[in-house]
Amino acid sequence: MTEQVSTNFPWLSLSILFPIVGAFLVPFIPDEGEGKQVRWFALGIALVTFLITIGAYLKGFDPSQEGLQLSERLNWLPALGLTWAVGADGLSMPLILLTSFITALAVLAAWPVSFKPKLFYFLILAMDGGQIAVFAVQDMLLFFLAWELELLPVYLLLAIWGGKKRQYAATKFIIYTAGSSLFILLAALAMGFFGGGAPNFEFTHLAEQNFGTGFQLFCYAGLLIAFGVKLPIVPLHTWLPDAHGEATAPVHMLLAGILLKMGGYALLRFNAQLLPEAHAQFAPLLIVLGVVNIIYAALTSFAQRNLKRKIAYSSISHMGFVLIGIGSFSALGTSGAMLQMISHGLIGASLFFLVGATYDRTHTLQLDEMGGVGQKMRIMFALWTVCALASLALPGMSGFVSELMVFVGFVTDEAFTLPFRIVMAGLAAIGVILTPIYLLSMLREIFFGKENNQLVSNANLVDAEPREVYIISALLVPIIGIGLYPRLMTDSYRASIEALVSRDVDAMHTLIQPVAPVISNFNLSPALISAPSI
Amino acid sequence: MPSAAEIAWLIPVLPLLGAVASGLGLISFNQATNRLRKQVAIALLTCLGASAVLSYAVLAEQLSGVPPVEHLFVWASAGSFVLPMGYVIDPLGAVMLSLVTTIALLVMIYSHGYMSHDKGYVRFFTYLALFSSSMLGLIVSPNLLEIYVFWELVGMCSYLLVGFWYERDGAAHAAQKAFVVNRVGDFGLLLGILGLFWATKSFDFQGIADGLAQAISTGSVPYWAALTLCLLVFMGPMAKSAQFPLHVWLPDAMEGPTPISALIHAATMVAAGVFLVARLEPLYSQFPMVGLVIAIVGTITCFLGASIALTQMDLKKGLAYSTVSQLGYMMLAMGCGAPIAGMFHLVTHAFFKAMLFLGSGSVIHAMEEVVGHEPILAQDMRLMGGLRKKMPITSTTFFIGCIAISGIPPLAGFWSKDEILGQAFNTFPVLWLIGFLTAGMTAFYMFRLYFLTFEGNFRGEDENLQKELLRLAAKEEEQEEAHHSGVIHESQWSMTLPLAVLAVPSALIGLLGIPWHSSFANLLNPEEAIEMANSFSWGEFLPLASASVAISVMGISLAVFAYYLRRIDLGEVIAARFPSINTFLSNKWYLDDINDKIFVQGSRKLAREVLEVDAKVVDGVVNLTGLLTLGSGEGLKYFETGRAQFYALIIFGGVIALVALFGVLGT
Repeated sequence: MTEQVSTNFPWLSLSILFPIVGAFLVPFIPDEGEGKQVRWFALGIALVTFLITIGAYLKGFDPSQEGLQLSERLNWLPALGLTWAVGADGLSMPLILLTSFITALAVLAAWPVSFKPKLFYFLILAMDGGQIAVFAVQDMLLFFLAWELELLPVYLLLAIWGGKKRQYAATKFIIYTAGSSLFILLAALAMGFFGGGAPNFEFTHLAEQNFGTGFQLFCYAGLLIAFGVKLPIVPLHTWLPDAHGEATAPVHMLLAGILLKMGGYALLRFNAQLLPEAHAQFAPLLIVLGVVNIIYAALTSFAQRNLKRKIAYSSISHMGFVLIGIGSFSALGTSGAMLQMISHGLIGASLFFLVGATYDRTHTLQLDEMGGVGQKMRIMFALWTVCALASLALPGMSGFVSELMVFVGFVTDEAFTLPFRIVMAGLAAIGVILTPIYLLSMLREIFFGKENNQLVSNANLVDAEPREVYIISALLVPIIGIGLYPRLMTDSYRASIEALVSRDVDAMHTLIQPVAPVISNFNLSPALISAPSI
Repeated sequence: MPSAAEIAWLIPVLPLLGAVASGLGLISFNQATNRLRKQVAIALLTCLGASAVLSYAVLAEQLSGVPPVEHLFVWASAGSFVLPMGYVIDPLGAVMLSLVTTIALLVMIYSHGYMSHDKGYVRFFTYLALFSSSMLGLIVSPNLLEIYVFWELVGMCSYLLVGFWYERDGAAHAAQKAFVVNRVGDFGLLLGILGLFWATKSFDFQGIADGLAQAISTGSVPYWAALTLCLLVFMGPMAKSAQFPLHVWLPDAMEGPTPISALIHAATMVAAGVFLVARLEPLYSQFPMVGLVIAIVGTITCFLGASIALTQMDLKKGLAYSTVSQLGYMMLAMGCGAPIAGMFHLVTHAFFKAMLFLGSGSVIHAMEEVVGHEPILAQDMRLMGGLRKKMPITSTTFFIGCIAISGIPPLAGFWSKDEILGQAFNTFPVLWLIGFLTAGMTAFYMFRLYFLTFEGNFRGEDENLQKELLRLAAKEEEQEEAHHSGVIHESQWSMTLPLAVLAVPSALIGLLGIPWHSSFANLLNPEEAIEMANSFSWGEFLPLASASVAISVMGISLAVFAYYLRRIDLGEVIAARFPSINTFLSNKWYLDDINDKIFVQGSRKLAREVLEVDAKVVDGVVNLTGLLTLGSGEGLKYFETGRAQFYALIIFGGVIALVALFGVLGT
């Protein structure tokens, strides 16, 4: 029943299974109850996992190739067509690295956690393996399983270690994501059974299928909803501020750093790669949604008075660029979307970590209750400033490059009519003004001005400790590295993205009827008026 | 030995390395780094000094006629898109490099004295080095996109430095305002760059100009679109160079330490907009319409700045509005199609305005001994007076600066301003007239500043006046620093030395640009220099020049009568008779209020409304659907007991069952 096809070293299976096995060992680690021993164990596992993924990248991955590498294939349940197929191409490899990197830092960020530490680290490590699996699996059914498995640790991490409204937030999270993932299942089944014969869910098989346009459109719409919840796309986003608002800092880093990227990755992997004709139809909608994300979330973030929710909304705003990039039909724009995911993974994680570190000191998240703490926490202030500047896409840091690539890619691509591009680029560029408004106001309200006497007398405002400085520095190294020389990252997925985009562009050119009747009343958006011009 | 231009990339890199090293030191070993303040300062000065030496070598090479050097590498690429970055050394760049390194070096030396008692001394030097590096990078940028990169970085440094004293509310707001207003300009700049790239497939200055000309002639880009793109790009310089209506950030930016006002907000960064327009000359020269818009914006700015400067009582704000006005002159020159004249004024202005600002810093430093560290008091001219005898070097250099900016020959300002007015007279006579009148206003307000500060009797010890001023500024009195028994004295050598050094070019550098034999024009554009020299006629030059000198002298005389001899009481003669004009000017044309009402309050209101919608409508619908799908509140309660993972398990189990079912049926 089991046969190993690949003769190579199983890097990816190892990186998925190692943290999960490690997680199951956590209960057996002797610990006095405060987590002082078990956290070292968890950190060790997370670091080794990170090293394994680096090993996979260095030893088994050739960035110049567009196709699948590091493949492993194992027939698991042939009756169901379920295969243990993992592999990595340019789309997955950077995100696998990001996952293991952020998780290792999140474990370090979780150092002060003393409530049920064993369960906590068990869940974090299980999540590590599950998330790598999401990016590495090459079988749609397996993908669905990994996607669903991912929910449980997140749910528990929210529900047990969250803030005051944690039950509400966790429930909302699970209903949203679990509910929407039904669409993934339906789409997966439809695609796997397409054309009769034995079901086959492998990506390579699905990519060769010749789905009809109508079929593609239905699958696409379903998947868009499912992944749109995760990314999130406005108006499917309202779980996020609640979940992020209640999560503790390490969980927060994982949510922003990795979980949101699952949505973007899946949009690229399924919607853009497997359903190219529907993608051509839906692309204008993606652009419009992206612009809505940017502006709507930037405005809500500006009005938010709660620090965590403010940063949560800023995440939504930044994800708008991912949508525009994916919908842009250009290698440059799609590359930018990919880079924006990585970049936001790093920047978002650092900001959320800082929120947590600040809360530990001020014991409040309300901006009205802060003010002037910069005088007591100078290093914290410096770290915040650097990360906020990174988030507002300051050149020299990764966010700038990715947003620029999306902009240039979208504007110069001939897939859309000129007026559509002008209007959308103009609106998206308003984000360039709005982002500094809310981020700099936030800095001003926390750190600038006279000391808030009540806060200073109540709270113990010690400056950043070395562990915290280290975590932020570790995140800033790739942020600035990519910002100074983006090819460090873009070259690793360039070939895959170019292959994907050229397939999409071909599909767009072969489209004879621009708007299928099925979908015409589905899309009331004016974007379709300027559907791809061929 | 490599030529200087070959290693010119070191010019921005050296200060960057210094800034990074001391920045890391501040983060990692804060106390040790602060203890080594002198060593850090010397190290950073050495970095910048090396850059300066290299810049002079580059300038000397360019003067000897070495052709421009350009080096590029591929920075980003995807698909067929390739984005090169690198550096270019040409005469324009060489001039700017020398200018910026010189002034930055002097400002750094000055800061050693000015900031010596500040606990943020090392941080300040780090920011200075970081700024110098970004500014130098901007100058050597070979294409529009790289300019944009450094454009943002100098904006960031400006943000950090304006907000340097972050415990002051004013500084906090000013820093944010500076960044956001500049982002409004960058919004246009970014869209313009994107559009130009779409139209021409190039970021390169010459490439854009040629490409756009070609695109228009083949009809692939309509003329109006090209025009729009040019104007969008111009939004960037409008914000950076404080042109109306985006000038509002610059006067507020005076909340930063005075050396910063001299370096960033007078001499270098604010000139970056003018520099960019000069770089874009091949593009803009194709569109007379764009030139006209630039000239009009410049003239409005020029007049507006000078008119507001007339009533300012804050020494630094007065100088700030003067900067706004002078930047307007530079833009006017650019709009008249005379980039050489504009650049020349940029250079002369950089020297004398840096000197004036440093001089004002010296005054404020002395005033703080008497009135304390409250900027409302230390910068108000109503509390100054009679400082000349106590501060001879400061007052002499300030006086030189005043003559230079007023346009009295043979000092620097005369030659450069007259060149601009001459160009304007030939191109847009109406704009010339406004610029001409502004020259008179300039002379008046500068000497008003000088007399109020340095002549008459010292008024700083008048406690009633101090209280009155604090009350006017709606500031609560701080009792903690009630008594300051210090006396006014001249500043230490590290502050007076830069003043004395800057006085030399302020007086003499104009002679490099005398219209009949301009070595400045000869360096930037030899052909045009020959043309200028050939078309020069005394008959044209003399009447215009004597008219400008005459109106300047009138302005100065008025100031002498009003503020030195005290023969005329302007408050009675004009302010009382035309109160509306006076309030209009002292409220800065109400532009800040309009801004606040429409944009600041408006955006806040909009944001609050969107959040309301988000919480009530979008989330409300979700919660409602949640209720409906669950059937009853009972179900919801069940989930809130903390066992909702059960729900996930049900879904998950259901999925497995479904899969199994299909699997069996399928096979």
